[in-house]
Amino acid sequence: MAAREPSRYLARALPRTSVPSIRPQGFLSRRNVSDEAPARRLSDHLTELESASSLSTTVPESAAASFDPLARAAARKNQLPRGRYQFRSPKYNRGPLHPHQPPPPSHPSSRLFVPGPFSAPRAEQTFDSTVSPDIMTLCYVHTPPGFKPPPKSARLREWDDSSPYHKNRVLRGPRGGDVLRLLRKPIKFNNIPEIERITIHSYVKNAAAERNSSWLHVAGIAVQAISNVRVETFKSKSNVAPWGIAAGRDSVAVKAELYGENMHHFFGKLVDVVLPRIKDWEGVKGSSGDSSGNITFGLIPENVALFPELEINYDMYPPKMIPGCHITLHTTAKTDKDARLLLSAMGIPFYGKIVN
Amino acid sequence: MSSGSNGARRVASLLRPSIIDSGVCRSCQETLGRRSYSSAAPAIESTSASTAADPAVKPAYIINAGVVLSRPPQITRELEPFEKAFFFYQKRLNERLALPFTKYFYFKRGTPADEDWKKKIQERRTAARDIGKYNAYDSDAWNDELLLGAKESEPEHQIEALVQDAESTANATSQDTSKKEEIPRPYPRITEADKKNDQKSLDRLLSRTLYLLVQSKEGHWKFPSSPVESGETLRLAAERTLAQSAGVNMNTWFVGFHPVGWHSFNPRRSKADNATEIEAPGSKIFFLKSRMMAGQADLSVNTQGLKDFKWLAKEELAQYLNTQYYSNIKNMLADR
Repeated sequence: MAAREPSRYLARALPRTSVPSIRPQGFLSRRNVSDEAPARRLSDHLTELESASSLSTTVPESAAASFDPLARAAARKNQLPRGRYQFRSPKYNRGPLHPHQPPPPSHPSSRLFVPGPFSAPRAEQTFDSTVSPDIMTLCYVHTPPGFKPPPKSARLREWDDSSPYHKNRVLRGPRGGDVLRLLRKPIKFNNIPEIERITIHSYVKNAAAERNSSWLHVAGIAVQAISNVRVETFKSKSNVAPWGIAAGRDSVAVKAELYGENMHHFFGKLVDVVLPRIKDWEGVKGSSGDSSGNITFGLIPENVALFPELEINYDMYPPKMIPGCHITLHTTAKTDKDARLLLSAMGIPFYGKIVN
Repeated sequence: MSSGSNGARRVASLLRPSIIDSGVCRSCQETLGRRSYSSAAPAIESTSASTAADPAVKPAYIINAGVVLSRPPQITRELEPFEKAFFFYQKRLNERLALPFTKYFYFKRGTPADEDWKKKIQERRTAARDIGKYNAYDSDAWNDELLLGAKESEPEHQIEALVQDAESTANATSQDTSKKEEIPRPYPRITEADKKNDQKSLDRLLSRTLYLLVQSKEGHWKFPSSPVESGETLRLAAERTLAQSAGVNMNTWFVGFHPVGWHSFNPRRSKADNATEIEAPGSKIFFLKSRMMAGQADLSVNTQGLKDFKWLAKEELAQYLNTQYYSNIKNMLADR
């Protein structure tokens, strides 16, 4: 019985190719896409690509002239349903299982959407075209073939086991202090230092005086005007008796953090407009910096007033209330030396003893 | 161990037959041979082969120092059509999402500026001056896309709109009505040198990097270059080359001490050389990068027999340079 009917079991056991198929197998007449590929040259594919941008495509004059979206909308008899065309993001996040999900923050209908960029800033273009190749050339270190860098000692030191209590003790910090410096890797094409963000911070010492909040308001508006970014306010962390400031009670400082396009525009204005007009300004102090690539300097109120946004309607700000500020340039450099190399190439002068 | 033996040891290390690849230059061999204080001294291999016994005569090369003198871009680049459209779209989107302009903070009631503002907002319909006639709070605010052929997204149009707005404000608010205020326009992006295609001018192609090319007395174009003399570093040779070829009437800055690229070539053997069996040495040119700050190239005092010079952008270099030369140098030049 089993020997008579082998076909069903055999068909399962054998590989797929040897199983007789119902369909006729016309090997010769079959055409595959891959068969034709070698016959086509690369240039044939290139002709399929559009040579010009779709934005510069020519459209017949009549089609362009007759298209009037406003008239079309007015001529429509039945108005389109509103909800279908104006999606509203949910106000509250009700969890991943709720049917009404918010769109991603990059979508214009999201509540978190921030439009932009609006321009290609000059400072960024200068960095890309001129400064970054120069920094890469300047920071090049030649290592001949076969060069092996000398072994580096461990960043955290071992205990010398002179005492039995050294067992399982956490490792010692570096010599000369407890601060573990950032690791500086050789600067190559993929880690050229660049400006990461700029922080504008202004501490208003009169903020708590005579219970007058206008000092802080003016400082916030001025910093907002020069930075194009909403400011954050901060309460004092310490008591300052002469100024009547109590810790945790008085808001005394404003801060704006600039990224991307805002940052590059601010940096451009600073370097090209404000800093050259400061009288008797020697530059940024060479000892400034937090030894991990961030450089800070200060501007007094007269210098802040040189920003074009404040200068254009200087009269609108109450007299003597324009604040001074500290500007921190955060770079992706790991040491102050590299950060200074970048910033001086971008147009910020340094003076005095250079401390790296 | 006395310190005096240090120099002697260095000399000995130079005299010692090199255990390292002979393709490494002498200063680098010194770097490789130097041992750190913590490591043990390497065992010196006893090599029987002496340097004199090397029978294969390698073709010698003349080492040249070349200068890639460039004038960096002076103005921003032209925006792509997509970028123009995208930036404009984002501006109108911002207008829709931002809070409306607070007029009362900026204009006091009854002042000439306030009157001027009222007139402007009537015709412009928005506070922004560079997004065309568009009111983001209107019932037809959905119609925010530009139609075909619209000029609003062009930077030139936006600049013109800003300047005209400033002019009309200045005229409306000034005391003296007889005189017409003129707001200076920005200088054009296309200069006279661009129109005449003056390739010796530094005012041409302001948004691009220009490179100095010189023509040798044989008639071929190249970057300024000359052989390194004995006892001269590459950087010193490059500085000397630049002074000897394009004059000293330039404020230049050499970027670092390392070459950014190199080109080597072997001369074709002529018939006379075939007879004498003397191989003419080839040349290797190592290019150092230099930036132009001010001045202009001047060939009248050059001692290298140069005939002509040109300031050219990257694409234009290909027309003047030898194919092999260009393919060796093109990757060290900036895109813009």
